[in-house]
Amino acid sequence: MRWLCILFPQLALDAVLRSRDDPTVPLALLSGPPQRRVLQAVNESARAQGLRSGQSLTQARTLLEYFDTVEHDPAQIEHWQQFLASWAYGFSGHVSLDFPRTLLLEVASSLRLFGPWPELEQRLRAELQALGFQHRLVLAPNPLAARVLTNVADGLAVDEQALQTELQRLPVARSGLPGELVESLQRMGLRRLQQVLELPRDGLAKRFPPQLLAHLDQLQGHHPLALSCYQPPDRFRQRIEFNFDVESTTSLLFPLRRLIGDLATFLAGRDCGVQRFVLLLEHRRQPASELPVGLLGAERDPERLFELARGRLERIELAAPVQALTLLAEDLPRFVPAAAELFSNRPQQSQSWLQVCERLRSRLGDKVVQPLAAVDEHRPERSWLAQERGDAAARPPGPRPGWLLAEPELLNDLFPRVLAGPERIESGWWDGEDVRRDYYLIETRDGRRAWAFHAAGRPGPLWVHGWFA
Amino acid sequence: MSVGYAELHCLSNFSFQRGASSAQELFARARQHGYDALAITDEASLAGIVRAWQAAQESGLKLIVGSEIQLENGPKLVLLVENLTGYQSLCRLLTLARRRAGKGEYCLRLEDLTDALDGLLGLWLPRHGQDEEHGRQLQPLLPGRLWLAVELHRGPDDARKLDQLQGLAARLGLPCVASGDVHMHVRGRRALQDTLTALRHHCTVMEAGSRLFANGERHLRSLSALAAIYPAALLAESRRIAARCRFDMGELRYQYPRELVPEGHTPSSWLCELTWRGAAWRWPNGLSDKVRTQLEHELALIAEKAYDSYFLTVQDIVAFARGQHILCQGRGSAANSAVCFALGITELDPGRSNLLFERFISRERDEPPDIDVDFEHERREEVIQYIFRRYGRERAALTAVVTRYLSAGAVRDVARALGLPQEQIDQLGRCCSRWSKQLPSAERLAEAGFDVNNPWLHRVLTLAGELIGFPRHLSQHPGGFVMSDAPLDTLVPVENASMAERTVIQWDKDDLDAVGMLKVDVLALGMLSALRRTFDLLRRHRGRDLTLATIPQDDLPTYEMISRADTVGVFQIESRAQMAMLPRLRPRCFYDLVIQVSIVRPGPIQGDMVHPFLRRRNKEEAVDYPSPELRKVFERTLGVPLFQEQVMELAIVAAGYTPGEADELRRSMAAWKRHGGLEHHRQRLTEGMLARGYSQAFSERIFEQIKGFGSYGFPESHAASFALLSYASSWLKCHEPAAFTCALINSWPMGFYSPDQLLQDARRHQIEIRPVDVRCSDWDCSLEAVEQEGAQPAIRLGLRQVKGLSRDDAERLLRARAQQDFADVADLAQRGGLGSRARAQLADAGALRGLAGNRFRARWAVAGVEPQLPLLQAQHDQAESPALIPQPSVVEDMEADYASLGTSMGPHPLGLLRDQLRELGCRSSRELLAMSPDQPVRVAGLVVGRQRPQTATGVTFVTLEDEFGMINVIVWSDLAERQRSVLRGSRLLEVRGQFEARDGVRHVIARQLHDLTGLLHKLDVRSRDYR
Repeated sequence: MRWLCILFPQLALDAVLRSRDDPTVPLALLSGPPQRRVLQAVNESARAQGLRSGQSLTQARTLLEYFDTVEHDPAQIEHWQQFLASWAYGFSGHVSLDFPRTLLLEVASSLRLFGPWPELEQRLRAELQALGFQHRLVLAPNPLAARVLTNVADGLAVDEQALQTELQRLPVARSGLPGELVESLQRMGLRRLQQVLELPRDGLAKRFPPQLLAHLDQLQGHHPLALSCYQPPDRFRQRIEFNFDVESTTSLLFPLRRLIGDLATFLAGRDCGVQRFVLLLEHRRQPASELPVGLLGAERDPERLFELARGRLERIELAAPVQALTLLAEDLPRFVPAAAELFSNRPQQSQSWLQVCERLRSRLGDKVVQPLAAVDEHRPERSWLAQERGDAAARPPGPRPGWLLAEPELLNDLFPRVLAGPERIESGWWDGEDVRRDYYLIETRDGRRAWAFHAAGRPGPLWVHGWFA
Repeated sequence: MSVGYAELHCLSNFSFQRGASSAQELFARARQHGYDALAITDEASLAGIVRAWQAAQESGLKLIVGSEIQLENGPKLVLLVENLTGYQSLCRLLTLARRRAGKGEYCLRLEDLTDALDGLLGLWLPRHGQDEEHGRQLQPLLPGRLWLAVELHRGPDDARKLDQLQGLAARLGLPCVASGDVHMHVRGRRALQDTLTALRHHCTVMEAGSRLFANGERHLRSLSALAAIYPAALLAESRRIAARCRFDMGELRYQYPRELVPEGHTPSSWLCELTWRGAAWRWPNGLSDKVRTQLEHELALIAEKAYDSYFLTVQDIVAFARGQHILCQGRGSAANSAVCFALGITELDPGRSNLLFERFISRERDEPPDIDVDFEHERREEVIQYIFRRYGRERAALTAVVTRYLSAGAVRDVARALGLPQEQIDQLGRCCSRWSKQLPSAERLAEAGFDVNNPWLHRVLTLAGELIGFPRHLSQHPGGFVMSDAPLDTLVPVENASMAERTVIQWDKDDLDAVGMLKVDVLALGMLSALRRTFDLLRRHRGRDLTLATIPQDDLPTYEMISRADTVGVFQIESRAQMAMLPRLRPRCFYDLVIQVSIVRPGPIQGDMVHPFLRRRNKEEAVDYPSPELRKVFERTLGVPLFQEQVMELAIVAAGYTPGEADELRRSMAAWKRHGGLEHHRQRLTEGMLARGYSQAFSERIFEQIKGFGSYGFPESHAASFALLSYASSWLKCHEPAAFTCALINSWPMGFYSPDQLLQDARRHQIEIRPVDVRCSDWDCSLEAVEQEGAQPAIRLGLRQVKGLSRDDAERLLRARAQQDFADVADLAQRGGLGSRARAQLADAGALRGLAGNRFRARWAVAGVEPQLPLLQAQHDQAESPALIPQPSVVEDMEADYASLGTSMGPHPLGLLRDQLRELGCRSSRELLAMSPDQPVRVAGLVVGRQRPQTATGVTFVTLEDEFGMINVIVWSDLAERQRSVLRGSRLLEVRGQFEARDGVRHVIARQLHDLTGLLHKLDVRSRDYR
């Protein structure tokens, strides 16, 4: 048995960095409640300025006033680990995700398929580099040893004998033991694993939980370590969120290329192709735009997939600025090499009625028909708006006309009868459209009732703002 | 047309997040409009009423005291005070409402009003004229004293509303009166008022909708505007009500608790009695004529000003503390009197300082005496609880502190109310300087990436500018107590503090002064704990019975030690700035210390008083007194104004101020940074001085110095008390350094230095430090005899130094040890009842060396201790295979010592790195002593201090520690900016720069910084690298 461990030392950061244009802008991942934000991870240029993970945001700001921040998202880590597993599945039928930020691969048979270790290593590294993930690799006779040795080495390949030597040199602190055991051992002056291994087993058994001896045995391969086996998913879903509004389709091409590349990697790992996929363009206040991309046959070449998707994307007009882009692929037939296409004779892809509808609607705009709603505001012209949902609790303090004019009109009647008023409304200074008016409920000579105003405290001609039914 | 009006319903900004104008603005405006009177009716609060009273006096307009209250289960009403009885009713009612609710809230019910409204008039504020029932409920409570308040604000149909309200009043048989529900002094505050409303509702102004007022009518409207809205009769009624309210805040009479005076005595005779008794105790060999005259003189003055009860109150508290063996020391304007010395309030012998009592209580000046008493910091709570017990909760409470908006808070709050994104709010907040009342400059904002022409930013800044200085909330004073003979709630409402078991009055210190109430500050001081512990140690181990008053005076070695700046751990003069000044000032007598304590403070430094003083002191500059009168005032400080008292004297002598005006100047000085208001003194002082023949330039300089004094200016009376503690602690450090260090560590946290630094300092003074050992350590650090005759005892570290060890575990261990010494680790664990955690902590600390060898072996040994049942004792000796446990290296011991004891018992880490540092060309602190100044140098050390004082703009003071002592480094702001991360991030720092030395003060001006923290890590690595 040969086990390969791939450790991703900055998985969360790499996942964020790969979707950013300029990786040299100082960046930190943040976590924690609003009153105590803590840096989870920092990129190279942030580190160069003295930022470190574990610092509080306040402390970091004293060191470097301006840097980008992204919310640290554990779900993302989980997602990317799954993604990497699907990639690794292309190299080994036995992939394990049991350790965080780590892939463990049984590679005895892979070595026969992909050539001797140096070649396999080179290929793995090249692909991971292209995917944008920093990594460390160790090949060892048992999975735990492989995992633990990645703590101290990269590119190490050991057999049974070399393993014993490596283990003896291993610092206790890096041996994969739980923190409290490491601390206890260190407080006894035990720094290297050799010192621990030389202690009498009965003495250790008396002083430490059984976990310690079990771990030592598994490390040396005396006892096997049970690992679960990764099963690849049957759909692909990947999302890139922008930290600014994207307003043109051209700016979507870079992230699109990333998504397509990831899709291709996923497909290669599963050894399948894609027949149809959907791009979801998310907007701030509107439902996401959906852009289906259909193919004649199953495909997995990233360049071809990209060209197809790009063709579709460039033809549409963005309904609103885009905040995130998602690629969703569920139709994943087995990949048949290109030559097979010769014999296929399927009709051109056709869009469903619903798809046509959606396309039409996005062309014409959603604003054609909209309900009215009341808004809790003192300014009459803002107290109702054409929008989906209103504020049910919003009720004006006085009588308000059923028909409010879009633009106030000068009242022709010079001497209307004042029924009530003046009601003074002074509000709205905050958006630069402060209103200061005295309103009257009036009756015109022809008996119609109107709501009319003049500037606050400055009697003059009245402007009709609305009519009562 | 002659209408008149009195506004009876008006909120000031003490109705937090509602009122948008200060009382001062309101009164000035009401006066302009020609109102008859103005009521301030803050919601369930009288916190702003003293300020309102002062504003009323300034404007010459009559104040009506009142409060707006929303009953929990009933109507909203305004209560107005008609007479003194009414004022007391209102205070009692508000106290009830506040005490029943959480901090900042209140709760009053209809039934609380029964028989509780004597002397109060009521304005009922019906909602929409619907709740007739409420009116009927109120009517019997305020017979003939209830009005229906008609408040018209140009709503949808004011005419109809007026009709409805008048109809309602007619049905109930109530008179109507016009009132304004005023929230601001002018319409222009509408935006600020909206902003406050949004903040109150935790939303933005955009979201606030109808929670905002529909218009800006709730301001003080002109009489003609009012006449256009209200019937004349309603306006006239407001004047009638105002005329009925005859109460003036000046009627309040405050009475000190009387129970302190026994039957048959007056306060005055009892104070004399206690004073003469005390004098016999203080001067056992009889009183000199001088002292006797002094005491008589002071007693007469106290009696004349009727402050006897105040002195008796303080004496009572101090007597309690003394009885409990709690060390205390009074300070403040009256504290340093012979009477206070006799009463035991201060330990400062008046014969020792050349301070004059008149300076502290003046016959002409109507300034209340002020005595603050410091108590041991760990035991102040006992004193506080005593006061509550002695006077009862209804007669004793803490003073409030009014927290006001500074620029950062104002900008943040306004930006939040305007709905700016959180990131921008934070960034705006960062643009404001701390503790500043100035808005950030346009440059600063532009630098932070803001578009200064953006209208939103403009709005934020304008509104924040208005909000700065507004009261924000009330909090509790750290220790200012008020006590009274009558229940406090007849004087001022009392409310709950956020701390349980504390009650707070609604007034702060300035309010108390204005009303003539006296407060006693019960403060906490760590140094007093340390001194008491030192005295205890000396009694037990050294056979010396000392007190603050009996420490030998004028001790030359002590002053020599101080002049060497060998003052780590002593009171006040231990800070870096103080240490830098000591070798220059070279204090030689007690008064020198008084000056030393006062001069190294932000005020004198900003006012450029330090350097002239130094030059004159060193005879490099002649002292030039502009006149013989000023010579008298300034001679003791060589012509440099240093104390608040001197500035007052100066104003009197040189500018013709009356004592009362001089006191006003003192107050303005303390407040000008916050409120401004020093400009009229500039004119007054300049004119006064010119008229008395002083030059224009001189008077300008004096004024600048006074400004620099600002709020930092130190009263001589406080300085004297502090200097006493500085001297006492210095004497103890000089003659009993072991006991003093031991006591300091046992009193920690306090002071400037960590236990590690104190121990390093002790070692440098040849004091032996012995490690923690379960066989002989107590909980506290203790003293142990040494072999050498006459040497200082050794300090045995206590179990309290062991990180994480609980006091309970330690006490159990000590009890078990007292019965019988421990045989081995198993015995310790079993009889001491120690769990595995405590055992491990003791092992790591090296405290088990006597039972199980070094810390590594001990840790292995304690891990092997198994829980034993008495019946199975035989198992104890079960053989175990031998284990190979390594010996800790020097570095490992050092690391473990730091980790578990916070100090190094072996070598200093820099000692271990010295060879490498020498290769890098770094000098040690010891080598610097012999170095001549003004040459380039490299130094390195552990960063133990990094300070950026406000006074020294842009300078960072870094203190480095090595195995021999400290090195002071000065980093200018441009370097600090360039090497910010090195400066802030390094534990071990190398500094290349220029060495400077003058008058025994040495420092390195940094030119370049290097982070050498890696060397420390390499120490770790090397230690782990052995096989």
